[in-house]
Amino acid sequence: MTARPDAPLKVTGRATYALDNVVEGAAHGYLVLSTVARGELASMDVEAVRAAPGVLAVYTPFEPLPLHPVNSALLGRMWLPLQDKDVRYHGQPIGFVVAETFEQARDAAALADVAYHERPAATSFSDGLTSAVDAQPAASEAPPSLTVLADGVASIEDALEASDVTIDATYETAAQNHAAMEPHSALAVWSGGELTVYAGNQAPHLVASDLASAVDVPVDAVHVENPVVGGAFGGKATSMPALLASAAAVALDRPVKAALTREQVFTATANRPATRQRIALGARRDGGLVAVRHDSWSTTTREIGFVEPTSHGTSREWYTTENLAISQKAVPLDVPPATFMRAPGEAPGSFALESAVDELAEAIGMDPVALRLRNNSTAPPGEDLQWSSKHLDECFEIGAARFGWADRTPGGRRDGDWLVGMGTATAMFPGLRFPATVGVTLHDDGTADVATAGADPGTGLLGVLRIVGAESLDVPQDRVVPRLGDSRLPPGGLSGGSTATASAGSATMVAASTVIEQLVALASSEEGPLRGHDVGYAHGTVYALDAPERDPMTFGDVLRATGRSTLSATGTTAPGEETTKHSFGSWGAQFCEVRVHRLTREVRVSRLLGVFDAGRIINPRTARGQLAGGMIWGVSAALHEGIEFDDDGRMSRRDLADYLLPVNADIPDVDVQFVEHPDTLLSDLGARGLGEIGIVGVAAAVANAVHNATGIRVRRLPIRIEDLLEDG
Amino acid sequence: MRQFDITAPTTIDDAVDGRHTFLAGGTTLVDLMKLDVLTPPRVADINALPLRGIGADEGGHSDNGNAGHGLRIGALERMSDVAEHPDVPPAVRRALTLSASQQLRNMATIGGNLLQRTRCGYFRDTTMPCNKRTPGSGCSALGGNNRGHAVLGTSDHCVATHASDLAVALVALDAEVRLVGSDGARTTPLADFYRTPGDTPEIETGLRDGELTTDVVVPHPERAAHSTYVKVRDRQSYEFALCSVAASLDVRDGVVVDARIAAGGVGTIPWRLPGVEAALRGEPATESAFAAAAEVATHGATPLTHNGFKVPLLRRTLVRALLELAEGSTR
Amino acid sequence: MNIALEINGTTEHLDVAPGVTLLDALRERLGVTGPKKGCDRGQCGACTVHIGGRTALSCLTLAATVTQPVTTVEGLSTPERLHPMQRAFAEHDALQCGFCTPGQIMSAVAAADRGLAEPDEIREFMSGNLCRCSAYPTIVAAVRDGASEEGRADATV
Repeated sequence: MTARPDAPLKVTGRATYALDNVVEGAAHGYLVLSTVARGELASMDVEAVRAAPGVLAVYTPFEPLPLHPVNSALLGRMWLPLQDKDVRYHGQPIGFVVAETFEQARDAAALADVAYHERPAATSFSDGLTSAVDAQPAASEAPPSLTVLADGVASIEDALEASDVTIDATYETAAQNHAAMEPHSALAVWSGGELTVYAGNQAPHLVASDLASAVDVPVDAVHVENPVVGGAFGGKATSMPALLASAAAVALDRPVKAALTREQVFTATANRPATRQRIALGARRDGGLVAVRHDSWSTTTREIGFVEPTSHGTSREWYTTENLAISQKAVPLDVPPATFMRAPGEAPGSFALESAVDELAEAIGMDPVALRLRNNSTAPPGEDLQWSSKHLDECFEIGAARFGWADRTPGGRRDGDWLVGMGTATAMFPGLRFPATVGVTLHDDGTADVATAGADPGTGLLGVLRIVGAESLDVPQDRVVPRLGDSRLPPGGLSGGSTATASAGSATMVAASTVIEQLVALASSEEGPLRGHDVGYAHGTVYALDAPERDPMTFGDVLRATGRSTLSATGTTAPGEETTKHSFGSWGAQFCEVRVHRLTREVRVSRLLGVFDAGRIINPRTARGQLAGGMIWGVSAALHEGIEFDDDGRMSRRDLADYLLPVNADIPDVDVQFVEHPDTLLSDLGARGLGEIGIVGVAAAVANAVHNATGIRVRRLPIRIEDLLEDG
Repeated sequence: MRQFDITAPTTIDDAVDGRHTFLAGGTTLVDLMKLDVLTPPRVADINALPLRGIGADEGGHSDNGNAGHGLRIGALERMSDVAEHPDVPPAVRRALTLSASQQLRNMATIGGNLLQRTRCGYFRDTTMPCNKRTPGSGCSALGGNNRGHAVLGTSDHCVATHASDLAVALVALDAEVRLVGSDGARTTPLADFYRTPGDTPEIETGLRDGELTTDVVVPHPERAAHSTYVKVRDRQSYEFALCSVAASLDVRDGVVVDARIAAGGVGTIPWRLPGVEAALRGEPATESAFAAAAEVATHGATPLTHNGFKVPLLRRTLVRALLELAEGSTR
Repeated sequence: MNIALEINGTTEHLDVAPGVTLLDALRERLGVTGPKKGCDRGQCGACTVHIGGRTALSCLTLAATVTQPVTTVEGLSTPERLHPMQRAFAEHDALQCGFCTPGQIMSAVAAADRGLAEPDEIREFMSGNLCRCSAYPTIVAAVRDGASEEGRADATV
């Protein structure tokens, strides 16, 4: 187990998040947001703003900051603030005030007098269902709808009709905000034609490219640093404050800080959309699935954009079924945009599917674990590509034994005034990799750097680089210095899609092996200390294969002997032909126990267990943190968080007192277990992702436990007290 | 935040000049000033005033015969200190312990807690109509997200919930507040101190201009020794109540002799429930009798679009609190 | 207005408007950036410091009203030696992104000072410090361990 390399900085307050950088003469920017959901800005009277003490500049669509079009590698064509007068949602950035101090900028921004040509806004999900359109699921090449039918079956309806037992229910999940503890913020410094931006993000090399486009300077003149990131979860692929601070820094020729307030984070970034999902399951009496139908609706903006892939992310792949029909629809509304958030698709999709499976188990009279194992898939339905390494059965067996699942009774049990129930669910997240380049540099002092641009927003990637680097160089971990969070490092280590470990880890192995080849060649070269010998490398040392009497030399020895201070190599890996041979995914079994007060109906999660099959676990300590954290996100989705809109499109829960996240008192000990089967078909490293799978299935496990405890099936998240009051 | 001047008076006479808004713990005032909800031109930091101490009442300005039989709590005592003081009745201690967070309890004072403002999201958002903040502008909560709002004591002008847990416990225990202004000192029962919104929701209490809370007195604290506070909310800590009940119960030979009950999270003011108290007297201390009495609690309740659940929840919370007292346990 | 603040044992003089919070005074005027601005509304705990030895939210405290000594996370350790609670947080991996950690540790030290040892007591005491990464289970473990270590450290003095 390896401690986080950045833990000493984080526990002493010395870790420098974006706004912890102290730069002489930095001005402060503050955003102004729209207060209507749809229409056009008629006027913005900012005379009072401009006249307020300390104000340096006021930017609005009437007097915009120059921003040039951005085609983001991650997000496509980006919407740029203050460039047009259209208002698309309540809480959209419409102004940016820069002043000498934070207080002056904030207080001046409050003086803006804005008039709108307001138009009727569509903000209700349920009202919008009639205008739903087929839409491609996010991050997918798949068509909106997909049907797999057994020979001789004419339609999914026929297949359902022919099933012995069917269930058909509709589930709803609330929109959510990433709510990373660090609000989106940036410090931009423009000096000598170079732009340096300190901003928390998930991939500094990609953000640097976006910012270079936005302020129209060469990409190599932009330098983005994010050595630490105060949480991301999919919400920091881009940064509104970084855009505005960068453009203002250039325009004003002085450093500019900008941060969203907590309230602004809720609307001026992007959220996980609300979903509605209808699922019909048909099965034989023995539990064998005959038909799965999963239709999904996701709220979107009028431009559609991101569609939460709830059907494609779950029912497409999880269970063996003879017949499958899934669809994705968008419900365009005048609400803030949506984007990726931890387990996009799988998290809300699994609430629906895994609740439905629980309902089916009850309808059949079968144990929910047994029903899941009965339909365990060896490949996605209708596809030939078998799972590379799937041990879900083992997860359930270990989990059931560890959790005491055999003690579960259909009606739950009673403990004093508390109704106690148990629930379970499957978890799955695809095993993915992204292209990544990692640099390994050997130093003459015997240490080695392992470096990639990337980010470690708490995921543990920094420790992974150290562990894999040390292992690949065959040196102790304390000789390896991992480096991340700098756009000038080799491009890789994007924090997203649960890909960083498999991607940057395998690239580290390639880079290490390349630098070792170079080292060996150097040692035996004309200038080398082992010139003329056959040279090998082991245990971090170079030695002469044909002269065992000679002392092995460390790479530091070799470098010093040749008068070099460093030797570097990069390694690049990318998904390859393995994707044509297998399907890849991490799997897990989630178990939850809840206690519901018989009178007042608060739901308290009393036990949580997750058993995960995520390939090789590189660092159990941080892996546990990721998985336990994800599981607690699942509890939060089940019982706490949810965005709500007023009829006029104003978000009505947009601070941390109203938008509830669990507090320490809500969370019991969380038991995380691994079944460790290295997946070397995905990459030589053997690791699959685990940053996202922790959340998957948990909300369903909670809802299933609540049903077990109370007999009440709640099909809408979050589950609240009023859902459990029979007389409410 | 608007520009303001700040002073730090060291005597009560200097403080109560009627020109200053008082700053004690600051957890309400600073928050609402940053939101531009409150824009006082002059603020007096009153932390240096001699308004501390927890102990037997020395009489103070009381003229109601309670002197010497009460527990006096200085208005500048911090919530966390009162919560841990052994002489403070259980209902008050629990109400405080279940309030806010440790940091806020360390900062916020008893006097300030009783005057904290509603958490209504429309009150806190200066871009939205709110009769309490801007009289005559309208009530956004009536047609908005009103899940957290009140079902008792509401009007067409305002449905904002009173946010204090402490006030609910103190109202149940017949506490009084002592006030001092430029015209002198007075004492008022806390239950009479708060005003339902009616058509003047901007007036929340009977506090006069410049008047300062100096003490809170809990009369006959020994009568409140058997008391409790039950708070129901969406998370287990650091959240305002959806519904809460403060109660003290005197049961002899299985029969309720006396009860004092107030509810929180459901009313525009801390909501004393004399009807329930009356319905309990003489009844057996059983769940069915408690449930029957609890029916009285919600007579006249006016639920809104999203908070209808508070009606049954109040009855259930009442039963839970009473059972806890009757069974002598604190589950 | 001119004020004096005692921060981590050093008296600092500065000129601030009455409306400047202790958090903004620390971060923007004094370069003390351990306390974090997670909400600026007293709703997250990332700005937690000790004022007069007790935990307080620096975002809801006006700098001009502070009369007692202030300790931030920077004041707990020396370059050579971590505070036992800081070591416990690192050892238990009681953090992920680390943004809430300075506030968590200030609350944790206060919990240890009060001798809290039961997990439920610790959970309640620590509930004013949100952790979106949700490291709560390891935070509880770190507080228990850091508290006992702090006790041992005291005993050896």
